[in-house]
Amino acid sequence: MEKDIREDIAWAQINKDVLKSLESPRRLYWVILLIALAMISVAVGCEIYQYTTGMGVSNKNNSHVWSLYIATFIFWIGMSHSGTLLSAILHLMHADWRKPIYRFAEAMTTFSLMTAGLFVMVHLGRLWQVYYVMPYPNERWVWPNFQSPLVWDMFAIATYLSSSVLFLYVGMIPDLAICRDNIHAGWRKKLYTVMSLGWEGTDRQWRNFRVTYLTIACFLIPLAVSVHSIVASDFAMSNMPGWHVTSFPPYFVAGALYSGCAAIITLFIILRYVFRFEEYMTLPIMKKLVRLTFAIAMVWTYLNLIEFASVWYGHDQTAKDQLIFKATGPYAPFFWAMIFFGSILPLMLAFKRFQTHLPILFVVSILLNVGMWLERWMIISPSFAHGHYPWTWDHDQWPSLVQWGIVFGSFGWFTLLFMVFCKVFPSVSMYEVKEMVYHRSLALKHKPAVKGDY
Amino acid sequence: MSITNLLENWSDFRQQHPSDDRPHREYKWAMSIDLDSCTGCNACSVACYAENNLPVVGKVKFSHGHSHHWIRIERYWDNDGREFADQGAQFLPMLCQHCESAPCETVCPVGATNHTADGLNSQVYNRCVGSRYCNANCPYKVRYFNWYDYPTTDNVWPEPMNQQLNPDVTVRGKGVMEKCTFCVQRLTVAKSNARTEGRLVLDGEVQTACQQVCPTGAITFGNLVDPLAKVGKQWMTQQVELNKDKQAKNEAEEAAKLRGYRILEELRTYPSVMYLEQLRESAI
Amino acid sequence: MSKRHLLALFNDFDEAVAAIAELRGANIKGFDMDDMILKSPIEHPEVEKVLGDKPVNVQWFTLIGACTGALLAFFLVSGAQANFFSQIKGGKPIVPLPPNFVLTYEMFILGGVFITILGFLICAGLPAKRSSLYSVKVSEDQIGILVKGDESAVAAFKTIFTKHKALEIQEEAGK
Repeated sequence: MEKDIREDIAWAQINKDVLKSLESPRRLYWVILLIALAMISVAVGCEIYQYTTGMGVSNKNNSHVWSLYIATFIFWIGMSHSGTLLSAILHLMHADWRKPIYRFAEAMTTFSLMTAGLFVMVHLGRLWQVYYVMPYPNERWVWPNFQSPLVWDMFAIATYLSSSVLFLYVGMIPDLAICRDNIHAGWRKKLYTVMSLGWEGTDRQWRNFRVTYLTIACFLIPLAVSVHSIVASDFAMSNMPGWHVTSFPPYFVAGALYSGCAAIITLFIILRYVFRFEEYMTLPIMKKLVRLTFAIAMVWTYLNLIEFASVWYGHDQTAKDQLIFKATGPYAPFFWAMIFFGSILPLMLAFKRFQTHLPILFVVSILLNVGMWLERWMIISPSFAHGHYPWTWDHDQWPSLVQWGIVFGSFGWFTLLFMVFCKVFPSVSMYEVKEMVYHRSLALKHKPAVKGDY
Repeated sequence: MSITNLLENWSDFRQQHPSDDRPHREYKWAMSIDLDSCTGCNACSVACYAENNLPVVGKVKFSHGHSHHWIRIERYWDNDGREFADQGAQFLPMLCQHCESAPCETVCPVGATNHTADGLNSQVYNRCVGSRYCNANCPYKVRYFNWYDYPTTDNVWPEPMNQQLNPDVTVRGKGVMEKCTFCVQRLTVAKSNARTEGRLVLDGEVQTACQQVCPTGAITFGNLVDPLAKVGKQWMTQQVELNKDKQAKNEAEEAAKLRGYRILEELRTYPSVMYLEQLRESAI
Repeated sequence: MSKRHLLALFNDFDEAVAAIAELRGANIKGFDMDDMILKSPIEHPEVEKVLGDKPVNVQWFTLIGACTGALLAFFLVSGAQANFFSQIKGGKPIVPLPPNFVLTYEMFILGGVFITILGFLICAGLPAKRSSLYSVKVSEDQIGILVKGDESAVAAFKTIFTKHKALEIQEEAGK
């Protein structure tokens, strides 16, 4: 079986290969950046129109008050769980194959959260007063309503975003020192010098670094689980049929990990190709990642089926009607597309033939994320179109172009942030790859007859 | 100041919600609507528009679902073995139920909706940021969002309708959630006048706009705490209790003879509006 | 006698460890073991054995930070709910414990993470003043041992380092 990484890669080579990705970008980079900016301007235009005219242009109406903004908000928060999964969970499990890929995954976490935060503001009818949701002392003694899951959202996302950024930054300090040492003078050198905080790799620094990293990883795991559980509480704590389901928190967390893993596969393939990281983002690592995605897909499928089963078991006629409406009503095509992309398509990932076939994996991973986005939408819209009260029935509503424009533009925003990151900061963690190579070469020296997958 | 005392006071403070042990003290506004009397004439809806400065959204917006009627007449067609469905038309005026355990209050992120001491579900327009979670959680969907800036939209109060706008009620801009307030502007004036005279508001002294205008007198509104109030007597005759999610009378044999019920009671919202079921010909 | 810095660079980690062990055992006059710093491109927990016992205090910061965060959150939220203008929402108690618990939990984590990072910066001494002798090779693939000692000890250092195949020995310029 192939190895996750060659044990005889020279460390100097690792530095060189990764630092090469920080060089001045080629033309294709600028083209894609321009496209991203174009997408963002579409979204900004739509938002300005919505801001000045009123939320009505989004086609939402009085029984159907939430739509794509909340769906996409949850989608981006979900995608952000990738970084935590890779850096924190796999770190605690000593799975060192995460080392070449967790840096860009963590960056993805940070930028997904930033994108999600925008959707909160886009969704509000009076977004210029969004600060009301924050607890600040004022002379009127008015505080936000801490019972509301939306306030929990604010706390949770603020915590998660700041913790992720800090974790990403702290984990990058040794790499920033490498950049500082090896880059020519200019704005970059100044940036790296300041950001690396004078890191020199002393034993005192490493000793504390190791403990800090482990401690924060231990905190990040319950944080990630709680953040998406709280986001799920936006639905689970309400009384709408189809929402008031106790399995929503774990269901959402599973969906988030799923989304995140699929996105990692997509970005893995892109970065591997663009920066020629074939030595580091190897095919055996991809195989492991694909298998992990498959496993999480099956967990998500199970939780989905359990939700349907519990409706079938219960006496709640409204919930039963709601589920049948979801599957056979006007939203049925999207519902079944979600089932196909989310549960049937990942079955092909179980076959060895596809586990390293990069073009197919690229397409499949994007489709998996489409399925996850549809899942969020299918939780929101059908429940509004068939609630408890007969007056709400047949209130199906379709989002207007304004909504689609803003959703579309958010992908441009994410792309912009990610592309800037890839060119300013090393997207592969150099010191961790060195550690991986070092430990594997040690293992090879002590156990010469190691056979099979690591 | 003993520990027991402290704990009791703290528990008391925590459980301020009126219940059987600690009923409402002076006022608890409630309504009862007789569906047998209701003709579906929509006078209540129009009066509400006039009293509360509701914008007329127009046919196009209405068909998009941007209806803005705080009290709406719902039409149900019950054939009941008749030849034409119209013969079995039933009308149900639906308005904010002012639930004692309102699901909208817990989920508003900024606390724009709360429960007042006299049992109303209040909506504070200037605090609302427009998250629309309250509407999402309302089982009756009686909350209405300002999808556009209606006061600056044309034809919302076409001439000379703008001359009948009520100065006691604010006009809401875009992005704000609103709903029936039991004509709180009238209640405030009535309570204030009564307080000046050193007494409580008498039954019939204050009327909501919808109650005032109903030609058949289907709507009864008043103070449940007042033993002389008509609405309290109706609730008691119908054996509907405010703080129960399942009325005891439903278990009894003669349940069919008492017409009073509350909508979606099993969701435990404890609404303050009781409906009197329409007498069906097939039931007699 | 003024103190001088010496930086020796090694290619082989085992040799560097052996050098440290010998430095420790050699008992050179004018040199204190605390004045020795190991610089490496990756972390080497195995070096703790020869370096001696050095406690890591970061997790104390974590404990204090997390507890403070949780207490602050709970009292802030409960205090905000219990103010003079407290209003009933949805028939729930004025200070409801389930939502307060959720927020306390989040702030527990926030406090823990933030204070841990603060603790890391304090314990690791970051931002650090750059030492007088540094080689960019340390961030690449070589181990560096930085020692500070009296003039008399310099020769002893050099013998030990060359014995363990030091690739390069940098010396601080004399005063």
